[in-house]
Amino acid sequence: MSLADRCSAVRVGDTGTIDDVVVTNRDAAHQSRSDTVRAEYAGLVRKAAAGDEQAMEQLLMRAQEVAYRFSLLVCGHPEDAEDVMQDALLNTYRHVSQIKDPDAFRTWLYQTVRNACLMKRRRRVDEPATMTSIEQGGVTGDGDAAPVDVADVSNRSADQQLIDSWLGARLRRALEALPAGYRVIVVLREIEGLSTREVATVTGLSEANVKQRLHRARMMLRQSLEDL
Amino acid sequence: MKKEMSAECAAVLGGISAYLDGELEATACDAIEQHCQSCPSCASVIAGLRDTIGLCRGAAINELPDGVKEKAQASIAALLKNKAR
Repeated sequence: MSLADRCSAVRVGDTGTIDDVVVTNRDAAHQSRSDTVRAEYAGLVRKAAAGDEQAMEQLLMRAQEVAYRFSLLVCGHPEDAEDVMQDALLNTYRHVSQIKDPDAFRTWLYQTVRNACLMKRRRRVDEPATMTSIEQGGVTGDGDAAPVDVADVSNRSADQQLIDSWLGARLRRALEALPAGYRVIVVLREIEGLSTREVATVTGLSEANVKQRLHRARMMLRQSLEDL
Repeated sequence: MKKEMSAECAAVLGGISAYLDGELEATACDAIEQHCQSCPSCASVIAGLRDTIGLCRGAAINELPDGVKEKAQASIAALLKNKAR
């Protein structure tokens, strides 16, 4: 077992159990999935830029899927999803022919979707006055959690059912309870499978800050899941 | 009354994400593992975190729901048709 594998295996109370192997393999699978998805995006971008219509269609569908998930899971504003998807669609179509580094497409897409969500929020006339940005929401300057005004989630039964089918009701509720500035990190890193560096690029935070927030978010999630 | 956390527990839990992500040196891993053998509280937190991370990474994110998918496909078709003109 390599050093990295050995350290990522959680060996609590005993050693060499099946659980240890499962955790080690899960970490390796997470990294592998991240690399695979990034390579898939890059491949589609190259083909689409070369005029492959099928690749372009797949890319545009993926862009809209990312936009939809981000709207629901990170922003908590499913009513914005349609507009954010449209933005992702048009920006992706325009961007593909100009892109110089296909490997960077995935982070560009998440940045674009995040910005579209932020712009959509700013344009809303009924936006609560205390609403803060996705990254800063609920997080103080030193990284601590702080109260944040979030969207009313009382009339979202259909969306909640959909998210529950993805995540399970407990995890959905625990995610909703996270400050927005932590939720974005968990969703991008743990659910969407981006690397720490990619999350830092998308959010504009340093890698150290991403790691710090991820740690605190995991601790909060664990506590919420225990309490639910 | 809530028991105050020892400095050793605080140090272990402060580095636990790095441990779980395989970013610590072997000596640091050993120190955490040794501590957990005599500290059920930290061992429990680590087990809970492991489950939490597993729950997130195991999320079954599927395709768009039917109505949304149809709209997305229609938007793509309209865009490509319009640009082809």
